Amino acid sequence: MPSTRATGSAKRGASRGAPMMRLRVGFVLIAMVLSFFGARLVQLQGVDPQSYAVRAAAEGAARVTLVAERGDILDRNGVPLADSIKGKMVIADPSLTADRAPEIARLLSDRLSIDYFKTLNALRGRNEGSRYEYVARRVPSTLASDTLDELDAAGFSGISLQDDPIRDYPAGDVAANLLGYMGTDEPLGGFERTFDKQLAGVDGEATWQSTSGRGVRIPLRESTLRAAQNGTALRTTIDRDLQWFTQKVLAQTVQQYSAASGSAIVMDTRTGEILALADVPTFDANKPGEADEDDLGSRAMNDTYEPGSVEKVLTASSLIDAGKAFPRQRFKVPGVLQRQDRPIGDWFDHGMIRLTLAGIIAKSSNIGTVLAADAFSPPQLVSYLQRFGLGQKTNIGVRGETPGILTPGEVMTSQTKDRVAFGQSLSVNVAQMAAAVNTVANGGVRVSPSLIEGSAVTDDGTTVGTDVATRTRVISKEAARATAKMMEKVVDPEDGVAPRAQVPGYLVAGKTGTAQRVNPDTGLYDGSTSVSFGGFAPADDARFTVYVVIHAPKGEAGGGSTAGPVFSRIMGYVLGRYGVEPTGGKPSRLPVEW
Amino acid sequence: MSSPVLQPRTRVTRIAQEAVDRARLTVVPRVRSRAPRVPFVTLVSLVLVGGIVGLLLFNTSMQQASFTASALEGEADTLAAREQTLRMELDELRNPQRVAQQAQEMGMVIPTAPVFLDLQTGKTSGVRTPATREDALRLLPPAPVKPAVLAPAPTTVVVPAPSAAEQPTTPATDSTATQKQARKNRNR
Repeated sequence: MPSTRATGSAKRGASRGAPMMRLRVGFVLIAMVLSFFGARLVQLQGVDPQSYAVRAAAEGAARVTLVAERGDILDRNGVPLADSIKGKMVIADPSLTADRAPEIARLLSDRLSIDYFKTLNALRGRNEGSRYEYVARRVPSTLASDTLDELDAAGFSGISLQDDPIRDYPAGDVAANLLGYMGTDEPLGGFERTFDKQLAGVDGEATWQSTSGRGVRIPLRESTLRAAQNGTALRTTIDRDLQWFTQKVLAQTVQQYSAASGSAIVMDTRTGEILALADVPTFDANKPGEADEDDLGSRAMNDTYEPGSVEKVLTASSLIDAGKAFPRQRFKVPGVLQRQDRPIGDWFDHGMIRLTLAGIIAKSSNIGTVLAADAFSPPQLVSYLQRFGLGQKTNIGVRGETPGILTPGEVMTSQTKDRVAFGQSLSVNVAQMAAAVNTVANGGVRVSPSLIEGSAVTDDGTTVGTDVATRTRVISKEAARATAKMMEKVVDPEDGVAPRAQVPGYLVAGKTGTAQRVNPDTGLYDGSTSVSFGGFAPADDARFTVYVVIHAPKGEAGGGSTAGPVFSRIMGYVLGRYGVEPTGGKPSRLPVEW
Repeated sequence: MSSPVLQPRTRVTRIAQEAVDRARLTVVPRVRSRAPRVPFVTLVSLVLVGGIVGLLLFNTSMQQASFTASALEGEADTLAAREQTLRMELDELRNPQRVAQQAQEMGMVIPTAPVFLDLQTGKTSGVRTPATREDALRLLPPAPVKPAVLAPAPTTVVVPAPSAAEQPTTPATDSTATQKQARKNRNR
């Protein structure tokens, strides 16, 4: 019996193998499985664990860029010249939209006023396998979401929206040459570019775990939020309504005389704040692409020209300040003045006439000015002009400002000095010239002009604005007063050359200018002229300085007859706008002849 | 360490042997508790179920709140965008160009020189200059010049002057005749 049992168990043992054997096989199997696990563990945790963590987090993670709102550009009263509003870009996923592209394109082009065929191309995918196509950029947010709702209701899918702020210039072309404009993604000119760091702000970011589809946050899951820092507003000294008026008056005259271009500037005499700086032709900042590329910058600041006779004001006031001349000083002015290299003539034919210094200014005699300026050596004259701010940038914050050209005194020949004395052979920009005339208006103290209220830092690191404005005395108060009296004679109906620059009821001091223009290609005078008028009112207690220059007018044009009326119109408007009553002062009674 | 415990015992033995004898521990039969188990189990189950259901409800309400938050955020975005759009429209309505155009259509003109009226004395200062139609600003740029193809020179037709014999006597017929002539010319 026991033997049979033993044989039975032996049989069973043989069929299942020895227990030891089974144990070993089992262990080997377990070891193999465990080593696979171990290897996988090392792979997951040892080799690049971060990428797996990131992939895990990305599953259902939503990441949204919080677009910072671009700072507004404001005028002096806080009215926006440029502002930002929420906008959306419309994006198509062609893998979802291609099949029903014509219907979707029709709806989109109807609602968003965009081109049907371009939309169709975007919806079908411009490239094979593309899943991200711009359909429209900078669509007002409300319009975009209304359209998307409509698409949803119609059962179309594959269109999504993303933040894409819109830059709007509510007044179109007002101050456009100063403000600049925005390209698709970055600022391309003007203040927008110069002060981009301040205006742009810093984009924020939010991440969270979301349920698929609608992007609803899963509560209690990891979420981060870095709020966007909106850009800081830039406040300018521009007065929007005055700027608009200045542009319109200037444009009207530029058109009337078929002139190439024109610029005008209005300055607050006491603070140097620029209330208006107009350029014609200009452009609509909302549609910079439609404008001539040459019109996009600020000609007033970027182009130089020879100022012509307006500069005589600086020469005469310097002479008076240096004690080398006085308003009633008598000059015998010949018809032609022979100087070393060429004869100097006047704009009007005359024989020998007897003019006072006031008469020389009132009648704008080149010869008289040269005779008076003989009391100065070239370095003396240049040193005065430099203190008036010529030959140096004004640094008001306009890109690409030209410093103008003023030959240094040590190397200036006497012939050049003669011409500089009446405003040729030197070149300036509009703000320089306005600030120089303003020095006379402000009792001899030059206030550096500014366009930015407070202060701001330009992209090349210069701080500009009213906070850093400087005041320097250039000529004595008496010299400034005497010059103003002489300038009053310019608009005198009997003695002066620019009666049309008068503002009824006010004492106006000004000076005309007609200068030959240098052709930038040849470097020679090309026969065209730049006519200008600079002046201030009320002459006995100046509040505003207005300077107007019109380049290459056609037909009969002169500083007094062309730029004078523009000056008068702008000055009349600004005096009324700022409530400056006539002073009731007595007009200048300086003699012009003897 | 055990001595302080033992000491009182020996002293007790000595003082009150009888009481100690009586208090000697004896084995007693175990008392079987007949307290019902059901309420306890029910309570525990209730607490458990309540906790789970509560947690579920809490989670659901959080989820619900999250949906509401999303919806409200969306609404806030929409409203903010609408406000901005309206503000932009307002700014465009305030555009000096538009205001000036409307004013000029109503016959208003920006004066060339200001005049001030003192409300207390009723006196004016400044020179009163009339604002005329000529002072009106040209608000719109001139229309672009069309190329010659699109703007052909007007065709002029020279009509020979009627001779003295043909000259009608009454001016009335004269004018109708010229009018007819003019119409004919236009038709040509």
